[in-house]
Amino acid sequence: MFDYAIETQDLTVAYQGKIAIENINLKLKRASRTAIVGPNGAGKSTLIKAILSLEKRVTGQVSIEGDDSKKARQKIAYVPQKGDVNWDFPTTVLDVVIMGRYSHMGWFKRPSKEDKDIALNALKAMKMIKFKDRQISQLSGGQRQRVFLARAMAEEADIYIMDEPLQGIDIKTEALIMETIKNLQEKGKTFLIVHHNISTVPDYFDHVIMLNQTIQASGSVNDVLTEGNIKNTYYEMSDE
Amino acid sequence: MDILSSYSFIIVMLGTLVLAVACACIGSISVFKGQSLIGDAIGHATFPGVVLAFMIFGVLDSAYLIIGAIVFGILAFHLIQKITDHSKVTLDSALALILSGFFGLGLVLKSYVQGHPNFNGSQGIDDFIFGQAAYMLRSDVYLIIAAAVVSLLLFYVFYQPIKIYIFDQTFSQTLGIKQSLMNGLVLIMTISLIAVGLKAVGAILIVNLLIAPTVIGRLWCTSYPYVLALGMIVAGISAFIGTYLSTAFVGIATGPAIILVLSCALLISLIVAPSGPIKALINKRRVGNQL
Repeated sequence: MFDYAIETQDLTVAYQGKIAIENINLKLKRASRTAIVGPNGAGKSTLIKAILSLEKRVTGQVSIEGDDSKKARQKIAYVPQKGDVNWDFPTTVLDVVIMGRYSHMGWFKRPSKEDKDIALNALKAMKMIKFKDRQISQLSGGQRQRVFLARAMAEEADIYIMDEPLQGIDIKTEALIMETIKNLQEKGKTFLIVHHNISTVPDYFDHVIMLNQTIQASGSVNDVLTEGNIKNTYYEMSDE
Repeated sequence: MDILSSYSFIIVMLGTLVLAVACACIGSISVFKGQSLIGDAIGHATFPGVVLAFMIFGVLDSAYLIIGAIVFGILAFHLIQKITDHSKVTLDSALALILSGFFGLGLVLKSYVQGHPNFNGSQGIDDFIFGQAAYMLRSDVYLIIAAAVVSLLLFYVFYQPIKIYIFDQTFSQTLGIKQSLMNGLVLIMTISLIAVGLKAVGAILIVNLLIAPTVIGRLWCTSYPYVLALGMIVAGISAFIGTYLSTAFVGIATGPAIILVLSCALLISLIVAPSGPIKALINKRRVGNQL
């Protein structure tokens, strides 16, 4: 049995010879809720993309539930930043959520009745059921985010990685998303979330990673989120 | 004389109809990915391949010329990728460079071949620029049907991953959908249809068959399967009408006639379709007047 949901060893990623993140050593406990915080350009998105194998790493290892193969990454459900998708594509809300069932579909990848039911339930949980036949392009920012969370839930993954899911959405949606995350955590799911608002970290998370190219501090929120660590992460210039 | 039952009409109509329907479906991928002009660049780039294949094999037989077309299509595509990946040249510039460069090479080779006594029977090579559907043979139609069936079958089998790949590429990567497989699939389907369609509509116009049906479908429909269905139907009808017109009236070339019919359908859609720009303008006025 594996000890950690996600474990990285000496993870380093570089863009065109310039180091983005360096020597990242992480151990994420199962059923934990971890925030990644840090200033702009600290490498927060790079770190999660490296864990998902969306970025090539220079050195280091990543293992998911004790498995370091590339296939293991499919155990993770990923919620990207809003701008990444093709909004002009003609597709409905339900269709997008059913895409989350892809890995569960059979040989010809046609969604079954069960896939559809799971997708509908995920939409119900995100209070988006009445929008199920709506075009994805017609939704507001908060509604889109809820659809992507529903898609991630439909994946029925053990681990959820999200890139700023609360960016630019209304307070009601923010509360709904965090409530859903807490419910899933109680069912044993693990969360790793890039988060921009440091003042809400104690309410929303139990663990925190403070990142600025390297890990400045990481551990439980109570131990790590100190004035000194915040200052180190946000105001100390890294030596270029 | 009854046109509809004449042998040459049936051959040409069958070939262009099957080609148009398959192109409507496969072309939708690059239209929605915002890469429509890659098809145009590949179309133009196949021409030097056709001429070279003629120089090597010495016959103007579609089966041989298609090999040259496919090789040069793939070569052009990879050059475009290399240029955009390893330099600061943007995609539109790379496309323009490859399109004109390859087509220029084709024209040079063509004029060399046609002026050289060693190459006999090279007159028909011009047909591959604008297409000359009237000279299509039964074997040309078989090639079109083979390419159409294979590419439509691939599209059907890979429909779900293709859809996710178009809508959300990053997400498709996290699902373990191989990007190289998707890129290769789209490339093979597109190039094989272009190659078999050269004799029917030519290197310059074929891109219209890949783009226009999806644009028309998108103006009327709000789901991908319906966009595909409408695009394929309109493309098929256009091929039929275009072929009929070119058979009924002497001097009208088939390929351009089909493109013209398709363009008329697009024009009408732009004016009357619910999500067209003209309807949008009218609705804006109406809301404005109410205020």
